[in-house]
Amino acid sequence: MDRQQEFVLRTVEERDVRFVRLWFTDVLGMLKSVAIAPAELESAFEEGIGFDGSAIEGLTRVYEADMIARPDPTTFSLLPWRGETQGTARMFCEILTPDGVPSLADSRNVLKRAMDKASEKGFTFYTHPEVEFYLFEQPVDEGRLVPIDHGGYFDHVARPAGHDFRRQVITMLESMGISVEFSHHEAGPGQNEIDLRYADALNTADNLMTFRTVVKEVALEQGVFASFMPKPLADQPGSGMHTHFSLFEGDRNAFYEPGAQYELSKTGRQFIAGLLHHAAEITAVTNQYVNSYKRLWGGAEAPSYVCWGHNNRSALVRVPMYKPGKSNSSRIEYRAIDTAANPYLAYALTLAAGLKGIEEGYDLPEATEDDVWSLTDAERRALGIKPLPQNLDSALNIMESSELVAETLGEHVFEYFLKNKRAEWDEYRSQVTPYEIKRLLQVL
Amino acid sequence: MIDPSRTTTVTGRLIRMGVSNAARAEKLCSDPDLIQVLGPIDSVHPLLEALTFCADPDLGLLSIVRLCGSLVAGRDETDGAERGSAPDYKGLIASLRGVIAPVGDSSESEATEDRDQQIRRIFSVFGQSVALADEVIRHPELLNDLLDLTPGIGVDAKLVRARMLKAVDADPTEPVPVAGMTREGATPDNPGISTDEYTSRMRREYRRTILRIAATDLASNEPLSILPAIAAALADLASAALEAALAIARAKQDDHALSARIAVIGMGKTGGRELNYISDVDVIYVVEPAEGHDEDVALAAGTQLASDLALVCGSPGDEPALWAVDAALRPEGKQGPLVRTLASHVQYYERWAKTWEFQALLKARHVAGDVELGRAYVDKMNPMVWAAVTRENFVEDAQAMRRRVENHVKPAEAERQIKLGKGGLRDVEFTVQLLQLVHGRLDESIRSSSTLTALADLATAGYVGREHAAELAVCYRFLRAIEHRVQLRQLHRTHLMPTAPHEIEVLARAMGMRRNGSEELMGRWRTTKREVRSLHEALFYRPLLPATAQLSAEEATLAPEAAAERLKAIGYRDPVGALKHIKALSEGVSRRAAIQRQLLPVMLGWFADGAAPDAGLLAFRRLSDKLGSTHWYLKLLRDSGSAAQRLAFVLSTSAYVADAISQSPLSITWFDDDADLAIRSIDRLNAEIDAILTRADDPSNAITSVRALRRRELARIACAELLTDIAPQDAAHGISDAADATLGGALRIAHHEARKVRGLAEGSEPSQLAIIAMGRMGGREMGYGSDADVMFVYEITEGADPAEAGAYALEVARTVRRLLTETNEEPPLAVDADLRPEGRNGPLVRSFESYAEYYGRWSEAWESQALLRARPVAGSEELGQRFVELINPLRYPADSIDANTLRTIRKVKARVESERLPRGVTPTRHLKLGRGAISDVEWLVQLFQLQHGARVEGLQTTETLAGLEAARAAGLMTDRDAETLRAAWVFASSLRDALVLWTGRIGGAAADVLPSDRTMLSGIGRVLKYPVGEASAVEEDYLRTARRARNVMETLFYGDPE
Repeated sequence: MDRQQEFVLRTVEERDVRFVRLWFTDVLGMLKSVAIAPAELESAFEEGIGFDGSAIEGLTRVYEADMIARPDPTTFSLLPWRGETQGTARMFCEILTPDGVPSLADSRNVLKRAMDKASEKGFTFYTHPEVEFYLFEQPVDEGRLVPIDHGGYFDHVARPAGHDFRRQVITMLESMGISVEFSHHEAGPGQNEIDLRYADALNTADNLMTFRTVVKEVALEQGVFASFMPKPLADQPGSGMHTHFSLFEGDRNAFYEPGAQYELSKTGRQFIAGLLHHAAEITAVTNQYVNSYKRLWGGAEAPSYVCWGHNNRSALVRVPMYKPGKSNSSRIEYRAIDTAANPYLAYALTLAAGLKGIEEGYDLPEATEDDVWSLTDAERRALGIKPLPQNLDSALNIMESSELVAETLGEHVFEYFLKNKRAEWDEYRSQVTPYEIKRLLQVL
Repeated sequence: MIDPSRTTTVTGRLIRMGVSNAARAEKLCSDPDLIQVLGPIDSVHPLLEALTFCADPDLGLLSIVRLCGSLVAGRDETDGAERGSAPDYKGLIASLRGVIAPVGDSSESEATEDRDQQIRRIFSVFGQSVALADEVIRHPELLNDLLDLTPGIGVDAKLVRARMLKAVDADPTEPVPVAGMTREGATPDNPGISTDEYTSRMRREYRRTILRIAATDLASNEPLSILPAIAAALADLASAALEAALAIARAKQDDHALSARIAVIGMGKTGGRELNYISDVDVIYVVEPAEGHDEDVALAAGTQLASDLALVCGSPGDEPALWAVDAALRPEGKQGPLVRTLASHVQYYERWAKTWEFQALLKARHVAGDVELGRAYVDKMNPMVWAAVTRENFVEDAQAMRRRVENHVKPAEAERQIKLGKGGLRDVEFTVQLLQLVHGRLDESIRSSSTLTALADLATAGYVGREHAAELAVCYRFLRAIEHRVQLRQLHRTHLMPTAPHEIEVLARAMGMRRNGSEELMGRWRTTKREVRSLHEALFYRPLLPATAQLSAEEATLAPEAAAERLKAIGYRDPVGALKHIKALSEGVSRRAAIQRQLLPVMLGWFADGAAPDAGLLAFRRLSDKLGSTHWYLKLLRDSGSAAQRLAFVLSTSAYVADAISQSPLSITWFDDDADLAIRSIDRLNAEIDAILTRADDPSNAITSVRALRRRELARIACAELLTDIAPQDAAHGISDAADATLGGALRIAHHEARKVRGLAEGSEPSQLAIIAMGRMGGREMGYGSDADVMFVYEITEGADPAEAGAYALEVARTVRRLLTETNEEPPLAVDADLRPEGRNGPLVRSFESYAEYYGRWSEAWESQALLRARPVAGSEELGQRFVELINPLRYPADSIDANTLRTIRKVKARVESERLPRGVTPTRHLKLGRGAISDVEWLVQLFQLQHGARVEGLQTTETLAGLEAARAAGLMTDRDAETLRAAWVFASSLRDALVLWTGRIGGAAADVLPSDRTMLSGIGRVLKYPVGEASAVEEDYLRTARRARNVMETLFYGDPE
């Protein structure tokens, strides 16, 4: 730890870094940044930097505004788009209360607590996200979005803008120590997918915050516009963030059991059972905007129903094909989370749900091999397959009575989140949409 | 064959020597090998006499028999075939025989005194340590070491080192000794003997030296006096072993790792030169490149040396391992590199190290390897250790340490722990280290790394009392001597008192306690543990008293700066102010001062356990000023330990109680007796009121006494809440009962006054009155600051003039109000009659008929909700009863309530939620009107009462919790929901009480709000018996409890929205 601080100070000196940005995330998953000069770094490590928390969404109550941000030296990295010399670096911060205790309102702290709980049981939680996003032509006309190409899934697009874009994003990420597994053109026009290599959930969440920034920066540089909006185009697939989960006990993958069905251990089955059992409760966080539900209920392969399957691309939880001999690659994929979620909170809750399944020894229902979308309502009811919430409002109602969500987020974040999202729903409900005008104005 | 005539005497002797299995011992005495060596054993054979030196005579005898067997077998084997390396068995047999010769056989004319010593050495080792006896039997040549009377302690460390190096053929005069180099014919490339063999040799030499030390130790009559020398000898031996191990490690590398200079720094007990027989040896490594070598190469070579060194000492081999070499105290602990350069060490400690790491450095000492480098390391570190303590966390760290000493985390097997348990070795070490930490930064003279030396230095420098320091030193020596003997038994690393009676007996004898063996040992051990605890207090707190207050010249007094340091270290925020109080409390020749001098030191520690030590001390001083030398006060403080401790706790935790006690110091006597802290029943209070009124001749005196009674009971309940585990609802009942009794008393006085004005005799009043309690008072749920919500009802005496009756009743009611609220030396009880019909616009008193008529006119049943809390508390019982009968059909309507009423009640509640909440208060934090708070639970219970009260008798209660329980029992809600609601109601109620107790303030806007200030939260947490500094937990716990209650309440009260 302390060696890390030393390393940071030395690097800052050697690379002649002129600014260090301290990053943290508000309750909604928005990145916040405050820049300090290298001279202040040492005291930042020791005492942290004081700031007014009341101005940050959900961080604190108005009357106890003083908060402290203390950088985590293990997250130190130079920002490649700011140049190699006399550059800018960043670190993620831990948010502390004035008396120096980790703040319960810090979403990074929420995930840390959840992971501490897992490690008490001997587990480490690894995640591997597949991030989808759209690239549009600049300037953006909000009424009519123009994707930069017309490619489809895995298409090799002749116009190389997308290629270049992905290549530059990947180069930057790699230079910041974030490994990329995979990247390709997605199903929608102008839609891309980049998969980050698996890492423990806290690192992954940090990486995702960095990833979003990098994508935005590269887009700016290349004169295109990038968006992580879950469903920007009504007739095209939405942007999700399918995430692969695995639990490790030391070096051993706890989901792996040779010879079991899909090589999936009892722990793995209980983890899935936990996810399914609590899926509806955590949806308001994994899919936090009104727009998120346009993706969730947008048909095609969207995971609208609570069920699981082996390689079933319509199920909420998918158990990917097992690669023989790779015991450590055993994992499960949760497909509801979208790109606009606060990754810290989303991973904290999915982890808590899975652990609950293990703790309580939930039974895993039968796997679903059908395409759930093609079933009738009655068939689904007969199979015991329940839907996820249809919109933000019902997601919030379910979340409100969830003990699991409250316990995991902590009372403060829980309350703030509900309040903020209710306000969003109220505002949304009062809108008159172009769709309504088009449909109704003339005929009525 | 044993001669039967002799057997009895031999057996008798054996038994007298303490042998427990005489039959077996007797058989051993006829062992042929034994007889071959020592001659036939008759009753006068010196062997039997020698057994007296054995702590365990059975073991001693068995071991000597086995040794003889081993000697005879060895002699027979080597007979004729002279082999160079084999021990001289014949010679050994002769020596042994020479020492324990049968009578008449002692041809040798050695000085008998020496012989006695030799016998003593052999038998105290053989009769105590199973492991060492085995060692001698395995290597009989070690017998020479037992016969050699040169003491094993006080040997020059250089000599110990040289012997050890020679054992591995290394040259002790070389700056870099390498194993095998001094062997004849050895070349640097081919030492001829494997390093494994050298490892075995080193271990044998180590054990030989241990044997010599143990023999000196066990044969001593004064084990406690020689203890420091034993511990130092063991540390020197460990250093020498490390040196030899390093020489072996060098031999393992081709170039002898000459690129690296390495110094081994001893930490912990090794560093403090106070090691015990078996324990981990804590070290840190410093490596520098030798001249002309690269730093990277040197570091790699040094790392290899360090890890080989650990293996040579600690890995299994032909000879048993010595101990584990533990390098975990190095910078960055186990994550950090094993070796570092000096500069890297310095940089680490300058920049990153935590206070405890510096504390560890306190003991750093060069023990092996490069001398110059080791010295350079210590020279660099020393100034840093003490500069470092001034860092920001000093106070927190010192406090944490104090708490560790005083509160103790209970280790496993706490009862048997010699080291970690309460009053164990660790306590002594911490006490000394804590004092060093507090004062060492200003005073260089107390920085010794050895516990005993540091303790003596602290006394010399005047930081602790001489006598106390000496007593603590004795405790330490005693515990260490026990620990050593426990470890010697099997040469196992243990710090546990044995449990088997036989083992305890052996241990006692090894400690020189022969007469009452185990009893004496266990008794002294218990006393020692107790003493360590009380000496901690004496050492730490006593010197805080000013010089003028000291009882004897032996006691120490701290200079003001040093005293301030010490107070600050344990959490006093204003040490200078605290010192003034201490001075005022302890100076003078009065009896009070004398007793406070005794008591204050330990009370200073108790105040520091509360949330506000300074406030506690100040309150104590005020109390003392006020009580002066009141006899009972001094006696109580002096004689009752628990009373003083409780007093310290309440004074530093509750401003409310501190204030109450200063007004009525007699309350302190309650702390001595739990019965006095029990809440008084209403009957008892009424009887007392009755006595007051019978006695009183003047109404103003009478009401003063009545109000004093209420104040006293409130103080009692507050103390009970802090000191015992009564439930908050019990406290509420008590507070309400006190209000009931007070009201009753006031009513009687008011009648008396009204009669006097009118010249009426008792019994001829024109009207009778009853007081009906409403609201929280009706529900027996009052807090410390609650008003008395009441209504007055009267009844015209038959034949009296109605107008006169009404006027009389009104006057009495007004007088009651005046009596209870007018300014007076005793606290008022606000009387609030706003819940009467028509509220403030209605008449203050009404006749029974008027109530009947008013309630009869009601159209809206929901108005009767307030009546659910109505309870007659004073005045005419018969009238009160009739009033209850009048309102029962209203508040428990026979046909429940209709949908319209239900809707109205829900609407009113919803409006109250949005409108009554004070501006700026977050709904979740308001303890009364907030989300899931008190009023949520109350409204729900009241709704059930209106709906089902007529049907479910249990619901006919004015108390919320009783109503809740009745609703649950009647199946109106699930057990789980009821529990959720109960928990929230109780938590919110106890938080309100805690707010009053902590701040001492009653009422005000803040009284109903969960504070967000963290000091406040911490303080409230302390009242609610959370550990110190748990602000976040208090907050999080309440918010969670209330949220759950709100979820339940919403469903049950507002119904499902669908």
